[in-house]
Amino acid sequence: MFIHNLKYFFKIIFRNRMLIFWTFAFPIILGTFFNMAFSNIEKNERLDIIDIAIVDNQLFKDDEVMKNTFKELSNKKNKDQLFNTKYVDLNKAKELLSKNKVVGYLLLEDNNTQVVVLDNGIDETIFKYVVDEIIQTKEMLPDVIEYELLNSTKKDREVNINEMYSNINKMIQEDKSKIKDISKSNLSYTMIEFYTLIAMTCLYGGIIGMSAINMCLANMSNKGKRIEVSPICKTKIILSSLFASFIIQLIGLALLFIYTIFVLKVDYGSNILAIILLSLVGTLAGLSLGITTAVLVKKDENTKIGIMISTTMIGCVLSGMMGITMKYIIDKNIPIVNKLNPVNMITDGFYSLYYYSESNRFLFNVISLVIFSLFLILISSIRLRRNKYDNI
Amino acid sequence: MKKIIEVKNLTKQYKELKAIDNLSFDVVEGEIFGLLGPNGSGKSTTINCILQLLSFESGSIKVFGKEMMPDSYDIKQKIGVVFQEVAVFDELTVYENIDYFCGLYIKDKKLRKEYVQYAIDLVGLNDFVKFQPKKLSGGLLRRLNIACGIAHKPKLIILDEPTVAVDPQSRNNILEGIKKLRDDGATIIYTTHYMEEVEILCDRIMILDKGKILASGKIDELKQLANIEEKITVEVNDITKEQLSKMSKLKNVEDVSFNQPNLVVTYKKGNNNIVKFMDYLNKEKITYTKIFSERPTLNDVFLELTGKDLRD
Repeated sequence: MFIHNLKYFFKIIFRNRMLIFWTFAFPIILGTFFNMAFSNIEKNERLDIIDIAIVDNQLFKDDEVMKNTFKELSNKKNKDQLFNTKYVDLNKAKELLSKNKVVGYLLLEDNNTQVVVLDNGIDETIFKYVVDEIIQTKEMLPDVIEYELLNSTKKDREVNINEMYSNINKMIQEDKSKIKDISKSNLSYTMIEFYTLIAMTCLYGGIIGMSAINMCLANMSNKGKRIEVSPICKTKIILSSLFASFIIQLIGLALLFIYTIFVLKVDYGSNILAIILLSLVGTLAGLSLGITTAVLVKKDENTKIGIMISTTMIGCVLSGMMGITMKYIIDKNIPIVNKLNPVNMITDGFYSLYYYSESNRFLFNVISLVIFSLFLILISSIRLRRNKYDNI
Repeated sequence: MKKIIEVKNLTKQYKELKAIDNLSFDVVEGEIFGLLGPNGSGKSTTINCILQLLSFESGSIKVFGKEMMPDSYDIKQKIGVVFQEVAVFDELTVYENIDYFCGLYIKDKKLRKEYVQYAIDLVGLNDFVKFQPKKLSGGLLRRLNIACGIAHKPKLIILDEPTVAVDPQSRNNILEGIKKLRDDGATIIYTTHYMEEVEILCDRIMILDKGKILASGKIDELKQLANIEEKITVEVNDITKEQLSKMSKLKNVEDVSFNQPNLVVTYKKGNNNIVKFMDYLNKEKITYTKIFSERPTLNDVFLELTGKDLRD
């Protein structure tokens, strides 16, 4: 029965032009447009060194981490040089900015670090991002110190203090290399577009899951009535249909990967297993979103497809599909939105996979996606458990 | 006779509205049981309750002698349902649709192939097996809908208004098919608001209105409720008020009406009324061009019981 349903579900989906378009064709078309629109722009911008100014006040002078990091990133002998930095007073910094001699300036004040920019371009975004990364690392230092102290006894405290300084120093070095990583010449905001494209494909796959649910339930479709009066356990038929949906989603995603890697020459990094893992959980998130939409929205199928598409597109925009600045703005001002945004979880997962050697951020995104999916599946299961309906 | 369905005191409510009000009836093996009533009378709701698709407030439903539950898969195995709305996949061909739904009941591929062919033959879709549903006419689509519901050769078939918006040729084909299914041993519940279909097909009828049983029984038993024996319609050129008044006083005449050129005389009871009335017309020298007699219809029964037409 499982195989019988699976076989026909494949036939039904592969002959449904609308579903095939949204899940297979649309991401490929969009990817082609991205490639055409952004590849040349990126070539022109890739090697530029960013002119910035730093207000050279006492607070900055006392901030070793900030001072050393910017020194390193502005070193002309360094092949990974990112900034051309001018150390000036506040008035001069303002003047340089107003004359567009720099993209922005950094001002350290008591309890406040300001990055002042006039525009929201890629250079400004990189500048802000680097400052944020440095601040985040600095914020971790007290915790590290406390941890090291708590784990030391009086007897060996002296030894451990040395070790502690060594650890902190290591962290700063790691931070530098991390920043270098993100700022190296192949920093590509087009990559974000492709990451969101992959995320979009994962979530659009949910439309198939939604159709599967609609097909199986008596209160959703006439075919559902026919299926529910048959002597087949509802759970079995739903699982069979969802399994088929999942496979079809993965096929769509694989086609997109093949197309972007071999035709558009997009580089997703070398960690294939991690890419597969992220694709699987991303697809699961899409599927669960589709199931929930099918179960909770009491509208016809086309309306539900519209809701799925628009929800996904909003998620894509917020996570940087139409420009990385939007991702930065959301991350900075309302981080909870992107923490709950499955598109961002997938995008950020790919991003961290590509730009960071450590896996914490990647794993955080994978776990977030699994939790997101399980939560939606749980809600849907409660509704799907009903055997009879009040109204059909 | 073995009872196939036993419904007792079934009540279904939609908020304030009682869709089914304390309904009790039985369907016995081998019969075609007609559920007749206007739109919104509760026919489909009754069917959906029997099939355990709808929850209901009170009552009990037994099918094949067992309490019907949503997970009564052994009972469901023996039931075939044809819903009012066409429920087929647009992406599959005629053959694939029937095979898919039949496959939910029959696992054996070889047997299924045989059953699918039987269903195709029964509804006369042999020339259309490779067509997709959107290429079929309304009538052919209805036939496909029926084939999908009965291909697994169920012992109990529930047909919910299967001939709505169907051309006469397809309707005849469908009605003939249903008779054949009964002749092959199936028990059938047939819901409709077309009284002519019920009269042609059904062995027993239950008339529903506003969720309540108005009457039930065999057709002849029900027609007695209409309180008329026959209607005689005569085509005449003209007739005077005095002549009409005189006619209305004839023995067993219930009502006389004249809507040129048709004179309709309704008899309450009596035998050979048409012969007696022709004698009367000759005696009164009333010339006529046509005369015919009609037995009371189920619509007359419904009219008598509710004061309104079945299709109101």
